[in-house]
Amino acid sequence: MLSAGWVGFGADTMVDVIWITMPFLLAGLWMTFKISLVTILCGSILGFAVGMLRTVGGWLVSATLGIYIHALRGTPFLVHLYVIYFMLPALKIPWLQFEAFPAAVIALSLYTSTYVAEIVRAAIQAVPRGQSEAARSVGMTAAQCMWHVVLPQALKLMIPPMGGVYVIIIKGTSIVSVIGISELVRAGEHATQRHPRELMLIYGMTALMYFAYCYPVLRIARWAETKFGSVRLPS
Amino acid sequence: MPSETPIVVVNDICKTFRIRGRPPVQALRHVTNHVDKGEVLVVIGPSGSGKSTFLRALNGLEPIDSGSIVIDGVDLTDPKTDLNRLRRGVGMVFQHFNLFEHKTALENITMPQTVVLKRKGSEAYEIGHRLLDRVGIGDKADNYPSELSGGQQQRVAIARSLAMTPKVMLFDEVTSALDPETVGGVLELMKELATEGTTMVVVTHEMGFAREAADRVTFMDDGAIIEEGTPEAVFDNPQHERTKLFLSQII
Repeated sequence: MLSAGWVGFGADTMVDVIWITMPFLLAGLWMTFKISLVTILCGSILGFAVGMLRTVGGWLVSATLGIYIHALRGTPFLVHLYVIYFMLPALKIPWLQFEAFPAAVIALSLYTSTYVAEIVRAAIQAVPRGQSEAARSVGMTAAQCMWHVVLPQALKLMIPPMGGVYVIIIKGTSIVSVIGISELVRAGEHATQRHPRELMLIYGMTALMYFAYCYPVLRIARWAETKFGSVRLPS
Repeated sequence: MPSETPIVVVNDICKTFRIRGRPPVQALRHVTNHVDKGEVLVVIGPSGSGKSTFLRALNGLEPIDSGSIVIDGVDLTDPKTDLNRLRRGVGMVFQHFNLFEHKTALENITMPQTVVLKRKGSEAYEIGHRLLDRVGIGDKADNYPSELSGGQQQRVAIARSLAMTPKVMLFDEVTSALDPETVGGVLELMKELATEGTTMVVVTHEMGFAREAADRVTFMDDGAIIEEGTPEAVFDNPQHERTKLFLSQII
């Protein structure tokens, strides 16, 4: 009885803690969901464009995009986030002033795009040369060949690694808490400050929520992989 | 123009492969040749003799360094030439079939028609079915390439090329990757095409086929044409030492 008053807030049992912290954690999950969804969407579109351009563009385009990809992949995401959120505003350029949410989404999208771009490039190049030679030999243009022959086969190759990247990005969104965004991990930390005796419980709930979000993504990727048939490429 | 004009005129073409870190390889040395309408030209020669490069140059898959190739009056080496348009009229069958793996046998034949020739789906399907029957695998229309034997895949590939009603058909060692028991059927099909008057350029190691089906045989070695003539002349009475050596090695 004594400890109940000392811990305070009247929340004592685990059920109470779950009951009280759940809305905050769900709000955090919702933020994580929003950030990751926008990021995955924008990052994939940008990455697809970069990967395609890198494959079909000339050496100059390819080299330029290569620098973009390797510069972003070779530096920590946290640095990108600081540059966009803290450094760019200091340049006093009006359209480079970002609030926390856009800054997080932009930084994460750029980061995601580099991984997606490499997956797209690798998948396109993994489609045997004979496929495009056959397409060109019947008179298809380079674009027709890409659209009707190469991409449909490359897409299947992209699905498994793409699912992996998406899950890494979803979990990676936790890092944007450093610029004050209340996503799931941040919400969990707040909860532990209110209920310091229930660390295990709260972090456990947080982890379960991430799992509940990520696991279906992996399942969907697996489903898509079998649904569209594992490609058998000619030797 | 009278029909004497050859459908393919190859004039003094050269091609050198330059791969970084390796000595350059001169694959074609001043090759001049021609193919008449309805003629079957068979190109023979050892591996690395440039015969496949020669064939691939004929539809622009392998750009050449110098010389000219004129197909039915259109200069392939002219930068203003629409290569895609030209390739519609030059069918190509590959050693490894190169069927579109994500399409059924029938779709392999219909897709180029609808995409390139803008034929209606119904028309393309009709042509597709007719050609699959023609090459002897009408019952495999809905099978994917991975479900077909090599010989069946090669038949689909031949049908895919025929669907474009090409002026000339190029065959690049089309039986080399086949199981022995399926080789004969594909060669038989090619002989039928030959007797029907299809203009063909055939790169092959099948000397029996060359002897039987060729109107003219060209022997290549080290990127150059060494000798050419009727099958009888080349096989029974070769003039050049290298031709004799090659024929003695393979027969």
